[in-house]
Amino acid sequence: MCKNKAPLGALPFVVLGVAWLLAPMLAQIPPYALPTPGDVLERLRSGVADGSLPRDVLASLSRLLLGFCIGNGLAIPLGIAIALNRWVSDLLRPVLTFLASIGGIAWVPLAALWLGVGPGAVLFVIVNQIFFSTIYNTVNGVEAIPPVLRRAVLSHGARGVQVLKELIVPGALVELIVGLRTSMAYGWRALVAAEMIAGTNGIGFRVIAAVQWYQTDTVVLGMLVIGVLWLLLDELLFTRLERATVVRWGLLRETA
Amino acid sequence: MSGGVQVSAGGSAGVAAGERWWPRNVQRGLLGATGVLGLIALWQVAASLSGVSPYFFPSPRDVAGAFAVLIDRGILPVDVADSLGRYLAGVGLGTAVGLTLGLALGVSRSAARVLGPLLNFLYAIVEVAWIPIFVIWWGYGLRVILVALTYVVAFPVLFNTATAVRATPRVLIDVVRALGASRRQVLTEVIVPAALPGIITGFRVGAGFAFRGLIFAEMIGAKDGVGYLILTSAANHATDRTMAGMIVVGTLWLLIDQLYLRPFERVTIERWGLVRNVQE
Repeated sequence: MCKNKAPLGALPFVVLGVAWLLAPMLAQIPPYALPTPGDVLERLRSGVADGSLPRDVLASLSRLLLGFCIGNGLAIPLGIAIALNRWVSDLLRPVLTFLASIGGIAWVPLAALWLGVGPGAVLFVIVNQIFFSTIYNTVNGVEAIPPVLRRAVLSHGARGVQVLKELIVPGALVELIVGLRTSMAYGWRALVAAEMIAGTNGIGFRVIAAVQWYQTDTVVLGMLVIGVLWLLLDELLFTRLERATVVRWGLLRETA
Repeated sequence: MSGGVQVSAGGSAGVAAGERWWPRNVQRGLLGATGVLGLIALWQVAASLSGVSPYFFPSPRDVAGAFAVLIDRGILPVDVADSLGRYLAGVGLGTAVGLTLGLALGVSRSAARVLGPLLNFLYAIVEVAWIPIFVIWWGYGLRVILVALTYVVAFPVLFNTATAVRATPRVLIDVVRALGASRRQVLTEVIVPAALPGIITGFRVGAGFAFRGLIFAEMIGAKDGVGYLILTSAANHATDRTMAGMIVVGTLWLLIDQLYLRPFERVTIERWGLVRNVQE
């Protein structure tokens, strides 16, 4: 079954590629609206040759990973701390919910004003997006741990780190990992959007700069790169992480 | 936000509430309001003490003033109506497309095998990346936004529907068939109800992405709407308006989530008598 899976799945790509090749012959499509696959390949070649494409990819990815680490590094401990104390959680929950609702992209203009157009503003938007997305999920995850388990762990005399190890992490693990993945999906969109509006480099910036000159080949190449990068990130990071943890422990079924 | 599957632990008042005479909800509400007011007070103090120009860091009072002007001149109501209308239309279209395709792919294994990789790849090209080329194709306006929102909603609905359909217990289908149901009846009586929790999960994920997508699309692909208001105000040095717009964005999403998504979820799930699988 595995053998004919790949060729079958490749078929639509081939069909789409052929349609793309033939489209300009069948309909009156100006080249600025739809570049040929050849143009895009040529753009890929020149981008790799002069190093501009790898540079942009590296800029975007490093920013995303940095934002992911900062945002989650702050949000998970804080979220756990907030969720553990009912008073603190009641106090902060509406504020956090509201800030999570605003979401990263709406912050872009303000970030550009405060930090100037450039990498700082983009990083601010990603961290903001990821932080609030994760803290919201973390608080919910920890609070959703059944009180019975909580009381059981506490009445057996667990304190401090033990509570964390025996109750919080296992109890909220599914939410935490699903939350990480969600935050990355939102963070990736926020990154591309922020680079387009307030960036000076990176893959999103390259796409929007090309739009202004109607260099559609660069735009399409950028879109393909964005797709490939996301598939790689998702597959290399999260599918593996889920398989190694929650799926393996039977907490979550793998979805297709 | 993730369309997560936890059932609220709100009913867990048993731990410490025994000795209290006030209901838990009142405590929640009071503390929550305190938190919000505290944040606003902190913001006001920070803005007054920092001495930074209100252009750079407007105070809550400035933002409240901007609100009043925006409402008074009728700018904000129009923008909000534009944004909401587009959002609802885009989400509706996307759900319809995703549901149709998802049911087809869920029922037909071979279709799923052939189209799966392409759909995965298309979904990976996030809507944010499509919007610039949409603007080249169609210029600013409604079409860009509607197509982008349809795109971002359709995929999660599609994937979750297909997965849920495939997970429908074979026995159920066989039994209903043995009882003489037509193919159509199998679909409407067995498969759709069984797949509903999955469909709703996909809908929630898509609706969340779509709202952020809407704001972004309005920033670079439209000349009106709340996203446009936020961006142009910042460009015109009206930072108080930008912040007012951001508050509107947050409020809108909260309202959509609480008044539209949650009740929808509740009604459909209760009506069909389904209980979501709780993961513990």
